[in-house]
Amino acid sequence: MSAKRPIVPGLVGLLASSLGLFFSGFSTHDYAIQLDRQLHGAHCSFVPGLADATTGPNACSAAMTSPYSALLRDKLWGGVPIALFAVGLYVFFFAASLHLLLTRDEAGKRTWQTYGVAALTPLPVSVLMLTISLTKLDAICKLCAGLYVASLLLAIAGVLALVYAGGRKAKPAEGAAIDQGAATIPDAPPTGSWLSVPAQLAMLGLATITPAAIYVASVPDYRPYLSGCGKLEAPSDRQHALVKMKTSDPKQRAVSFEDPLCPTCKAFHQTLVTEGVYDKLDLSVALFPLDSDCNWMLDRPLHPGSCQLARAVLCGDKDGTARVVLEWAYEHQEQLREAGKSGVEALRKKILARFPDLDACLDAKETKQRLDKALQFAVANKVPVSTPQLYLGDRRLCDEDTDLGLRYAIGQIAPKVEQ
Amino acid sequence: MKASTIVAPLVGAALLFGALGLVRRDVSAAAKRLADPELAQQEQGATAVASPSAAIADDAEAAYCTPEFKGVLQRVLHACGLVGGQERRGCQPADVKSFASISDEDFNALFTPLEKRGAIIMFDDNADKLDDGAKKVLDERWDDRKGARYFFVVSRASKTGGAELNRALSHRRANSVLFHLQEQTGHQGDEDLDKKVGMLWLGSEYAQLSKDYCQGWETSRPGKKCDAEAINRSAFVSWVDCRL
Repeated sequence: MSAKRPIVPGLVGLLASSLGLFFSGFSTHDYAIQLDRQLHGAHCSFVPGLADATTGPNACSAAMTSPYSALLRDKLWGGVPIALFAVGLYVFFFAASLHLLLTRDEAGKRTWQTYGVAALTPLPVSVLMLTISLTKLDAICKLCAGLYVASLLLAIAGVLALVYAGGRKAKPAEGAAIDQGAATIPDAPPTGSWLSVPAQLAMLGLATITPAAIYVASVPDYRPYLSGCGKLEAPSDRQHALVKMKTSDPKQRAVSFEDPLCPTCKAFHQTLVTEGVYDKLDLSVALFPLDSDCNWMLDRPLHPGSCQLARAVLCGDKDGTARVVLEWAYEHQEQLREAGKSGVEALRKKILARFPDLDACLDAKETKQRLDKALQFAVANKVPVSTPQLYLGDRRLCDEDTDLGLRYAIGQIAPKVEQ
Repeated sequence: MKASTIVAPLVGAALLFGALGLVRRDVSAAAKRLADPELAQQEQGATAVASPSAAIADDAEAAYCTPEFKGVLQRVLHACGLVGGQERRGCQPADVKSFASISDEDFNALFTPLEKRGAIIMFDDNADKLDDGAKKVLDERWDDRKGARYFFVVSRASKTGGAELNRALSHRRANSVLFHLQEQTGHQGDEDLDKKVGMLWLGSEYAQLSKDYCQGWETSRPGKKCDAEAINRSAFVSWVDCRL
């Protein structure tokens, strides 16, 4: 029998599935390795096998720690990574593409059509994730980009499978009138059993879900690790040193130690806001600038100028705009850090350009004393000299639980937040 | 059934099992490292980033906190009840003489680095009342706490009068300082005042100041007559930036 269907859909599908498996495999590996609650790098390359995992902030780490990278994060430490579903999905499509390739003309029309429709489904998910990357994360991770390309290729394979499901159209005979139309070759591919449709979909579902099920069954119990990171020894703010943040639905008393010029504080603040946790906290902030200008616990300034910004937040507290000032500081942190390195005066100018009303308060004796008291609060509570720190009630949220495990840890320590 | 129809499912099953194996291996390895962080450092040394252990927030520790200085202050804190859960009782000359175990000059020299941090509150002859200047200086010094934990009050009396009288007088002067601080801070709920303020009253028997202290040190009566008698009708006050 002559070949009526081209090999292109199968080949493109195989290529797409191989790419998808490759990138989703690395992505899943990078995710699973974090389950030990330690800091690890992430592969962020188009050739992840050739390049080492990179530590420090990068687009892949940002994507991985974002709330969009996993499901069920409130039920399971770290949740179930979306890449894990992609592993199962591309395993299925690898096998299905191979099937198309090997059984080209024997496979039923329904099999090709089902493949074609199913192969289109990863693309909308990729478009959604790409949109989230561009609008929420302001970065595209290279592993994710690899998956976007894989889903695009798979969609192309799907369209080709739909086009050729019924067999290749015969070319009109040379010289024949165009209006005679195209004619299919008489021995068209078989239609196939209708059972092939649910069978393929069931296999797709099974392949997609099984890795996730195995993952969920293997993840250890994290509850014993959540409570060993300390507590506030003297939580009462008798000296009125802390700054109460305005939140829309405060349910859980919390204290945080923050430095307006600390990049990790900014990231943590954004995570809490994005996860919808921040507004459920009855939050008091103990300003803890890592700047030796006011903080006697340091012998050199880690974040020069942060004392000045901390005072601006304290001044904002007088008219209830402390959160506005703090979030402005986070939003413009890079410029403010540069200004801080140039000197306090440059930073002061930036603050007053945005908040002219703070002029008298910034250098007032009372403001400086209140900042001293905030630092004394840290001493009284024997907290680590590091930022950020979040205490839910009196219990400290472990640093290890501030990214992937955040929702789960909060759900365990402060269930009111998740209600 | 043709061989071509079963190849793909077999390849798919093999791939799926392989993927499941890898997922399970990664998760199990992470679980082992979770249970044994040392193992994590050995196994993942190349890729794991060790989290540095942060220092614990603590009181200030200035350069003048020499072992000798801290030694004396430590003994003051213990003898005067600031450390150890006893009630504060302060220290009198006899105590100081015995626990300081150093000469008058060496004792005074220990406080020299506090020249810019502390102040000398001056009193009238045979009096223990704080005047307005004294209150102002005292409040300024008290408000300038920063990272210090202990506030020291070292009161004296001039050599005029008997030792017994001067001992009592210097005690009253130290108390005047304390009472003023209680007045100022009491309404702010500062219940730990007794654990912050260390008092020594030296009378006229021990560690008298020379008239050199009239210059360089901030006094509550700038521009007024200051001699060896006047400078000892005083209470030296200062926050001490040492971890004791």
